[in-house]
Amino acid sequence: MRASDGNRLFQTSIAFCAWSGIASIILFIIGGVLLGGMIPPLLAPDDPPSEFVRKVSEHLLAIRVGSVFLMLSFALFGAFGAGIAAQTRRAETFPVFSYVQLVFTAAGTVVALLVAFCWALMVFRPDVYHPTTVQFLADFAYFLAVFSVPVFGGWCVMIALPIFLAESEAAPFPRWVGYLNLWAAVLFAPGQLVLFFKHGPFSWNGAVALWLPFIAFFLWILIMCIVLLRIAKGRTSASALN
Amino acid sequence: MASPGPKTMPLTGGATQKKAVVFEANGGKELRLSGETGIWIFVVGDLAVFTLFFILIMLGQREETAAFATSRAMLNVGAGVLNTLFLLTGSWFVAMGVERYRSGHLAKARRDLDFAILCGLAFIANKCSEWASKISAGLSPATDNFFMYFFIITGIHLFHVILGVGVLLYMRALTKHDSVSSLDVLKLESGGLFWHLVDLLWIVLFALFYLL
Repeated sequence: MRASDGNRLFQTSIAFCAWSGIASIILFIIGGVLLGGMIPPLLAPDDPPSEFVRKVSEHLLAIRVGSVFLMLSFALFGAFGAGIAAQTRRAETFPVFSYVQLVFTAAGTVVALLVAFCWALMVFRPDVYHPTTVQFLADFAYFLAVFSVPVFGGWCVMIALPIFLAESEAAPFPRWVGYLNLWAAVLFAPGQLVLFFKHGPFSWNGAVALWLPFIAFFLWILIMCIVLLRIAKGRTSASALN
Repeated sequence: MASPGPKTMPLTGGATQKKAVVFEANGGKELRLSGETGIWIFVVGDLAVFTLFFILIMLGQREETAAFATSRAMLNVGAGVLNTLFLLTGSWFVAMGVERYRSGHLAKARRDLDFAILCGLAFIANKCSEWASKISAGLSPATDNFFMYFFIITGIHLFHVILGVGVLLYMRALTKHDSVSSLDVLKLESGGLFWHLVDLLWIVLFALFYLL
């Protein structure tokens, strides 16, 4: 009786974490894609500072409202990551990887929240700030988002390791989820190229350094959430919880 | 993942069980994808990413045909051919090694993998010396778009080769187990697939950078 209560609570909380992830994707699409001009990028790294001010001033209200949505979206990463860690925790006798995962989750959440802070400050008073400050805040936001490869890539690797190292009967996720996480980590990697280029596909508005990591990241969240929802829908037995 | 498992379902089901399900679904005939299902996610995913790279190179080629041709003439085709040979030979040894492991010849499989690892290391050494000669000649990713693509994309590929050598070392360690296990066969096949992917990507890159 108690075991089945615990099971139900576990399933509910895992479903909560999965829906947090899905909500964060939807909120990002509203805040970053439709309103905020983060992707597709409104700004370009080779624009002069005055051009940054002109563009953000034209879309002041949209970017401000978008930043609020971005903040909400990124704050939900924590619940999403904790749900995954809770599931890998069940397969580990000594939950070292799950703990490391939580550290990466927390670090990733903070880095992502700072993206929203920069985006909001950029449109707080662009007419008063020196134009290079506006440019700097945009640079900083994109650097936080895509230059932070080891934080988000490390998170994925820490999810993959306990899956691969578990005995196949005790694996917390199907093994393909492990490969998916490694692939996601590889896709985030080109983000580090933004330091070396100010135009072209490897700069922070380019196909390889911006689009690839962003699409991979939100696709990764979506697939992980679907897998978590399947687990929440009782593909686990009560005995497996012990 | 979708097929319902038996009553004693583990947390989510593992590779060996999956294999059994595939086996039954084929009426008991051995007809399955090589390696673990998951490695194909990685292979197809990586192919998709490199397809983006191939498109970028070809777009650059179309827009700056003359500049690309001038820069391309500065590449050493011999180094490219040599690296193609290293990877193709490596792939051959990997395929032999996996086949020999399957038939129980563990020591021979290990020797094949040794040669494959050597081919991988030779590729890395040759790539580094090629890069060093280009950089000492004053060429860098900042030179022009051709060399930007050349250094960055072959660099990302080189990173794959380094990962691949790590995978081969892991496969070699598996051949030290006392006996052949079906799970280890899957792991060796998966590792082999990764190496073939690295080889395949290089062949396209070789054509795009050196031959066009």
